Parts: sequence; structure tokens; C-alpha cells
Amino acid sequence: MFYKVLPIVEKEVINNKYFIITFTNFEMAEQSCPGQFFKLKGLEQEFPILPRPFSVFKKEDSKLSFLIKVVGTATKNLSQLKIEERVALLGPLGNGFQIHNGKKVLIVSGGIGYAPLNFLRDGLNKADNEITFFHGGKNANDVFSKNIRIYTEDGSIGEKGLVTDGVEEFLSQNQIDVVYTCGPENMLRKVKEICEGFKTKLYMSMETVMACGIGSCCGCAIKVEENGKPVYKKVCKDGPVFDGYKIV
Amino acid sequence: MIDFKIKIGKMLWKNPVTVASGTFGLEFGELFDISQLGAIVTKTVTLHPKQGNAPPRIAETEAGLLNSIGLQNPGIENFIKTDLHEYRIIDTNLIVSISADSISQFGEVIQELERQSGIDGYEINVSCPNVESEGIIFGTDNKTVFKLVSMIKKTTERTVIVKLTPNLTSIENIARVAENAGADAISLINTVYGMAIDIETRKPKIKNVIAGYSGIGIKPIALQNVFRVAKVVKIPIIGMGGIRNTNDALEFIIAGATAVAVGTQNFVNPLSTLDIIQGLKKYLDEKKVQYKDLINSVNF
Repeated sequence: MFYKVLPIVEKEVINNKYFIITFTNFEMAEQSCPGQFFKLKGLEQEFPILPRPFSVFKKEDSKLSFLIKVVGTATKNLSQLKIEERVALLGPLGNGFQIHNGKKVLIVSGGIGYAPLNFLRDGLNKADNEITFFHGGKNANDVFSKNIRIYTEDGSIGEKGLVTDGVEEFLSQNQIDVVYTCGPENMLRKVKEICEGFKTKLYMSMETVMACGIGSCCGCAIKVEENGKPVYKKVCKDGPVFDGYKIV
Repeated sequence: MIDFKIKIGKMLWKNPVTVASGTFGLEFGELFDISQLGAIVTKTVTLHPKQGNAPPRIAETEAGLLNSIGLQNPGIENFIKTDLHEYRIIDTNLIVSISADSISQFGEVIQELERQSGIDGYEINVSCPNVESEGIIFGTDNKTVFKLVSMIKKTTERTVIVKLTPNLTSIENIARVAENAGADAISLINTVYGMAIDIETRKPKIKNVIAGYSGIGIKPIALQNVFRVAKVVKIPIIGMGGIRNTNDALEFIIAGATAVAVGTQNFVNPLSTLDIIQGLKKYLDEKKVQYKDLINSVNF
């Protein structure tokens, strides 16, 4: 974990909702694993006060990229930064995805939940996993790759419907060992329901409002089952990736 | 050479900068050498483990942060077995923040800690807005505070700091009560009562509804509380509430604080305490002023 102020070295605007910013730092990149995240805040931006958490979207040598969705003032501020403008970064934070070797794997992402799973795919490839990738969004604007199975609610690209529509059918026709997922709460709940029937392993990356990001403040607690009892776990340090079946 | 050393009770601090309880932990040691701080204040520990409040526990507002953590902590026994071992080897003052539901429970917590080495002081948290004991916050009742602080002073030789709430009509009264009961120092302020509502769902943004408000928005409130209390007590004040940088820290010192604590800003820039230590040195050097002459030096 490091705290560094770095200039943006690359910026790609995908559409009016999404953009990618990239930084170069050897130490931070070297330590980053799929599923981990950073807290980011523009150096000159005072309000909102808290840096916001973003999963690593891509790592290439010393380069770290973040796919960011504009949802409020903090993300809007970040979207307005230009190349060479400076951002304070804290990370890598949290526990990443557990990567098994040589498994049959299904990835299910919804909207901006695509970000950590894109980085995960690279890690899974290196460990000789056979990967199928399902992604869902409201419309074509929420789609970041064409080489995967796409579902949109309005049918503007890929199949019309929810990404979870395809998951059940796929799992019933294919022997899958591990499912990785990240996305909106309703989607996660549905994925969990489906996976329970097929007894796959299930890893879920969770999102919450967060303050310190390093495990000190206990602000980002969620309820997780431990030894048969519900307890509060910190998304920032115990997660953000959890055993999907343990989320209460 | 800037002389920065201050005395808080029996403690000698190498500089006047510390952290607000609940906003800091051993994790910061991965980012910088935390022995550089004048003192470290732990997250509040209680006799029994506390699960904390239901989430959401935090929400950002226009100029600050709402929180209702509910003093989540592993309990005194686990604290002694785990974190305390790491804290005690850090070469600076260690202040353990403690809270309890009753005076006798405070006594039990202190007794456990008295058997442990490496602790320099206690911060008596009678002011958390997110846990209530029999319907009132401990620190709003003069008699209770007097009884509690007197009892603790009889139990320990270590420095006793009382942390006060600003959610009172007269903070001066309770500060005087704490001093008369033997408190070595006062820290203020704890968070201010606050609330936020999501207008789409009409739900409070914090599950516990009423929360503690911190960050830059409370700085003027904290500052006037420090100023008022500095007028009526002789014991040192550790000032806190919205301190982000050297200039904010200087205001608190000039208003009457002997030391300052950084809270919410630790979430923004985890190294801000170090920046403030450097910044204060630079200010003293440039203004050719002694630190002790800066404390409580408001010009009218």
C-alpha cells in the first residue's frame, strides 16, 4: 500500500458516462492484484472531501488504469481532469480475487462492475483457466468489450434482457467450477441464487461507501456469515472480494 | 532548532500533533513511521466486544462526514492480546481511548489496562454521540463526569484525558468539572450531532438516523469550544474538529489548544499529520515565535 500523487498519463473518454484514466508507477502496479482497489482524488479538488474507491481495471507493466463511471460530484470532478493533472492515489487496497489454476470459470458483470473483472480475466488467463464472460448493462453505453456475451435491457447491443437470464441456462449446460461476479446489488443476489443450485464456488466483489479504505475506521461494514453467525466485516480490508454465499 | 516539546499530564510529547480516536490505526504504519507523532490515540475500546451499528454507517455531506460506527471494537481482552502488542513498541506516547456503559465498567477496563505496560495515558470517551447509556450521553452530566474521573484518577498514575462532546449548552461547566475531578487534560471536540436524508427514498443516509458530524464543516464550532474552555481551565487542551492542514492547526493552538489532533483528514490524506508537524515548525521558524507563546494567544 502506498500514498502517492501522480499525474494522469493517459485518458480515454468512452462516452458521456464512462472514462478511463491511467497512471504510471512501478511499485503500485507491481503490488496490484485483480480485485484490489485504490482511493483516488484530484489533488486540487477540495470537495467532496473523501477520495472515492475504484477497482483496478487494467495493469500493463508499470501502468495502472481505472474505468470510472460518472455518478456524482467526485466522479464528475475526476472526469474533468486532463492529462498531466495530478491525482492522489492510495493503494493497492483490500484483498483481491482468489485465482485457481486450470478451472472452468464464469465471469458475470453488471455495468461498472466490469472494471475489476476485466483485470481478473488477465489473471485467470495466466493461470490456464477456461473463461466465459457475461456482461450486462442498461444499454450499449454500458458495454466495454464486444468479445464477450452481452445483455442489454433495451436490446441496443447483444441480447435483450438481464445478464442473469443467460447465467442459469449456461450453468445448466456447462460444468463450471468457479463464478466471479461484481455489479448492482439485485444482480449479485440473483447470481447467488442461481449459483447455489449448481454448487459452484462464488466470489463476489462488493461496493460500499468508504472512509479510510485501510481498515481503521470500520465505516464500510457489511454483514457476512462467519461460523454460522452474521458478523460485520470491513469491505475495504476483509474484502472487497468475499465468498458470495456468505454475504447476508 | 524549533522546540516543540509539550507536556500533557505526565507525558512528554516530541511535537504537539496526534490523531483523533477512531480515525487512525496500526494500518497507517504501513504508510509512514507513526512514531513521528507526538502521541497515538487508539480507536475506543470497551470491556466487551462491540459489533457496531447497522450500515450504512457513513455518509458524506456538503462540508463534512457523518458517521455512526457505534464503537465497533474487539473488546479489551482481544485488544490486549493483539493490537496493544504492536502499539506498545512504537516509540511515542500511547493513549488508549476507552468507553463503557457505567462507571464500574470504566473501572474494569482501566484495571485490565493497568496490568499492561507501554500505555502512557487514557482518553476517557464520555462523548460518543452514537452510543447511549441509559438514554443519555455520559459526558453531558456533571455529577457523573465528576464521579467517573475521580474514580479513574484513584485507579491510575497514568495521564487521564477527558474527551468532551460539543452537544451541550455549556461546555465550560463540564470542562471545569473534569478539571476539578483531577483530569490531566481535556480533548475536544467529539463529533457534532448531524443528519442527512436521501430525498428519493426519504430514508436517512445513516441507518442509525442521527450521526456524528466531523470534518471541515465543524471547524468553527470546535474552535470556539476550545477558546471557551481555554479561558476556564488550567489543564492543557487537545484541540480537534475539522483540522486539515497547518493553518487549521495554528488556529486551534492560538485559540488555546496545547496540542492538536487530526481526524477526518486522515481519510483524505493519510500523511496529513506529518505535513502539519513540518508546517508548524516552518511557521514558528518564520515568525520567530516560541511554541509555548503561541498557545492561547488570541489578539483582540
